[in-house]
Amino acid sequence: MTVIEIHNLKKSYNPGKLAVNDVSLTIQKGESLGLVGESGCGKSTLARCLLGVEKMDDGSIVYNDAPIAHANRKQLRNYRRNVQTVFQNPTASLNPKLKIKDSLIDPYLQFKDDLQLKHFHFTSKQDFVQQLLETVELPKELADRYPHELSGGQKQRVTIARAISIEPNLIVLDEPTASLDVLSQGAILELLGSLQQTLGMSYLFISHDLAAVYQLCQRIAVMRDGELLDMFRKEDIYHTSRHDYTKELIDIF
Amino acid sequence: MILAIEDLTVSHGEKKIVDKVSLTIDKGEWFALVGQSGSGKTMLSQAIGQLLGTNLRASGRIMYQGDNVLEYPKEKMNQLRGKAISYIFQDYHGSFTPFLTIQQHMEEYLQTHGVHQKTQRKEMMKEAMESVGLEASFAKRYSFQLSGGQLQRASIALALLLEPDILIADEATTALDSVSAHRILSLLQDLQQKKGCAILFITHDWRHVVRYSDKIAVMKDGKIIETGTKQKLVHQPEHAYTKQLIQAAPTLPMRIREVSKS
Repeated sequence: MTVIEIHNLKKSYNPGKLAVNDVSLTIQKGESLGLVGESGCGKSTLARCLLGVEKMDDGSIVYNDAPIAHANRKQLRNYRRNVQTVFQNPTASLNPKLKIKDSLIDPYLQFKDDLQLKHFHFTSKQDFVQQLLETVELPKELADRYPHELSGGQKQRVTIARAISIEPNLIVLDEPTASLDVLSQGAILELLGSLQQTLGMSYLFISHDLAAVYQLCQRIAVMRDGELLDMFRKEDIYHTSRHDYTKELIDIF
Repeated sequence: MILAIEDLTVSHGEKKIVDKVSLTIDKGEWFALVGQSGSGKTMLSQAIGQLLGTNLRASGRIMYQGDNVLEYPKEKMNQLRGKAISYIFQDYHGSFTPFLTIQQHMEEYLQTHGVHQKTQRKEMMKEAMESVGLEASFAKRYSFQLSGGQLQRASIALALLLEPDILIADEATTALDSVSAHRILSLLQDLQQKKGCAILFITHDWRHVVRYSDKIAVMKDGKIIETGTKQKLVHQPEHAYTKQLIQAAPTLPMRIREVSKS
């Protein structure tokens, strides 16, 4: 089953140069799709269009068989709930004035009226927060702390917990490990893998690190200069039909 | 041997950030110092060029050409830094003054270190830009007019301008994406082989270590916990922490690659 389809997406910031040039891809239910490329290749722009924080120039995004461009208020709200995100910089993703528990519960409070959670069952908000912290392997005491009291890796775990709290269908992970220390990087990748197994959502994992993408994803897409050059299943990474640029990337790792 | 660090301790009040570290770097070798954030590797590297903040105190010996450079007065250190020992940093923007062009940086660098002939300076600058694969016209630009990769190339050009004996690269590619990082490191490797300078390569990315270094030291909580040749540390790491670092870095499976090639 397809979670999301992107058709011929185009986005330009400067006249004459397309940041995303006619990219189409689909993400299946429960799969991780990796999107790899250098800085400036358009991978984050694609993600921003998907999240609706950037308006695309042309093309369409189809969710639940309906193009989101024509979605009504209710459908759009449903889309926003089901497509969550984790960004590169966890410090910028958490409100410094809110305690961790308040950041964690916020998406739930936003959407609770039309929310039926399958995985999380709780008796109180406090109980929910504790469960979320436990799910991302953080100590319960952190609930009452502020973001600045946490390490980078801990903060990224909080943003992951927040993203999964309303059980979305898709999480866009935009370089979620890039700003972390090497040991935290490995731990976050492992956590993301195991969360997917328990909760069954899809990932769009955006990174310049082909090896990290390989670890987490079943399919890998390669972008360069706004274009989608290559798309393959993980097992086929060394197949001779790989694009020359993909081979160049493979050689780096 | 080009540089020997003996019992170096860097302390902040009572707290020891670098704790009795000893290591030697041989002529022309790529020496990798690996560790997590906060392990003290940057403090160690900054002690070498007397770049430590005034709240930090370094003791022990750092021997270069028979002298303990920790005891050098400021003027003498200024002579050495840039000429015999030079640096490239993670924050390439911070390596440049925003209101000077790349060329003006180079001019100042060369004049400070006694290259007084204008034609000679011009020739050296041209050569330096070429050697890092930047167009000569880039020298006229300001730092903010270059991309991250270009700017790090410019800082390498600057650091190698006077053919130092040792280049200290402190997380020089951490802020770049892995493709640009790889290009920068290959370039550095080429230049190292041409000019024969040693590199003290500070990083947390084990993959870069495996690819480029000759010798490796692993640092944790201010101490060197394991050191040796690349062959030894990669294939027979003794310390549990070294193994942990190796495992944390994601890699592509090598064996499948070999199979599909044949």
